Amino acid sequence: MIRLQRVSKVFGEGPARVPALSDITFSVDKGDFAVLTGASGAGKTTLLRLLYRDELPTEGEIEVADFDVTTLRRSEIPQLRRSIGIVFQDAKLLAGRTVFENVAFVLRVLGTPRRDITPKAFAALKAVGLSARAQAYPHQLSQGEAQRASLARAIVKAPALLLADEPTGNLDEQMAGEILGLVKDIWSRGTTIVFATHQARLVTQLKRRTLKLEGGHLVKDEG
Amino acid sequence: MLSFLVGEALRDLRGAGRVGVSAVLLIALSLSALGGFWVFSLNLGRAVDQWRERVRVVGYLKDEPASSKLDELTRQIEAMPGVLRVRYISKADALKALKHSLGGQADVADQLPRNPLPASVEVTPDAETATPEGTRELVRRLQALPEIEEVQGGSQWVEGLAQFRRLFELVGLGVGAVLAAAAILTVTTATTLVLHLRRDEMEIMRLVGASETVIRLPRLLQGMAQGLLAAVVALAVLEVVYALAVPRLEPLLPVTLGLQRAAFLTVPQMLLLMAGGAVLGALGGLLARGRT
Repeated sequence: MIRLQRVSKVFGEGPARVPALSDITFSVDKGDFAVLTGASGAGKTTLLRLLYRDELPTEGEIEVADFDVTTLRRSEIPQLRRSIGIVFQDAKLLAGRTVFENVAFVLRVLGTPRRDITPKAFAALKAVGLSARAQAYPHQLSQGEAQRASLARAIVKAPALLLADEPTGNLDEQMAGEILGLVKDIWSRGTTIVFATHQARLVTQLKRRTLKLEGGHLVKDEG
Repeated sequence: MLSFLVGEALRDLRGAGRVGVSAVLLIALSLSALGGFWVFSLNLGRAVDQWRERVRVVGYLKDEPASSKLDELTRQIEAMPGVLRVRYISKADALKALKHSLGGQADVADQLPRNPLPASVEVTPDAETATPEGTRELVRRLQALPEIEEVQGGSQWVEGLAQFRRLFELVGLGVGAVLAAAAILTVTTATTLVLHLRRDEMEIMRLVGASETVIRLPRLLQGMAQGLLAAVVALAVLEVVYALAVPRLEPLLPVTLGLQRAAFLTVPQMLLLMAGGAVLGALGGLLARGRT
């Protein structure tokens, strides 16, 4: 599902040159669950951005869901992203739309037939236990609920790969546990997961393959 | 998908608020100015065409010809290139016409000891020859005839009117272009404002894999909707101004332009104006697109 070969990423040029990732090589098979860990600034977010082609690597090769990300044309990026669901630390819900509309928005944007939108959106909300809050607006949600809505939005298009960038970073222990449980449910249905977190406790709790970054270097790949 | 794109465009239009309204008004102003110039130019063009049909060249004869000589002269002139019709006006006919034009003072002509008016041939050029060059050539040929004393007439003044019309159209286009540029800039500002307000939505759209067309088309549609709305406003303004002005101006038309009635834009011309509005709006949307 994911293959990185000697990937490096440097931001800026000359004296302003900042190496973010150096010589990263690993792969994640279809259906795997990988935890990407490391302190803040270790390069987790940069690595995820390379996977969904928000950034291009300075060196190396990247393959995601059968797409050669490094040589992908601009017009082909949407096709790559349709196979990826993304969740961020801040839920990034659209303020003027209800939870249901936020989830349905993805389907509408992707041209899903009108008759399929409502059942699919409700199925995604049900999967994250948020059906009852479908008509609530983002400002009426708790942080945990907002993150669950964000998860529903990520999975509504049934992606082959889910990238989670610190989705529990703003949550208390109980809420973080709930989100983690939901992500595991999604994984158990066959979705490949890359879960980035700096929280060591979660890493221990997950008991999955762990990729640890330190200063942009991959220092551990175990489990 | 279409309903989504149109829905998003209408949402954008509402989101543009006052700037959006300003854009609509500016496009309407620009199209009203263009339409106003167009209506005037249209009527000027009709006058030019009408006057062009009335171009005559008159050759005054040295002597009133005998009947056999007249037939030969008429045949000779009819054989000249660009001549549509030849009409002979005898000295008596000329005097009759003078009396007719004098109206109540016709008896003045009766005081004359003899008829001083010359016989003449009135030559009507065909459409291709009713130009300054064509009529100049016709005058030259008529002057070369030994029976002809003097030649008068031509189409110089009609061409002057036609040139005035062209100049008028240029001024109209210039004014319209300046206003159109201002309108495009305002639509661009309105669309840019909407893009700024909706940057979160656009980010989400990109992240979930929406194509650039789906992301940008609503902005283009928004600009087009503004342009179309403005065109409707402009046409309504033109119609109202025309309805108010025509009863006051129409009595003057026969004595100035020689027209009996004024004409308004035809349906295809109105549709063209609306298409112009849509294009102006779309251009504004496209320019804003470049800044995202």
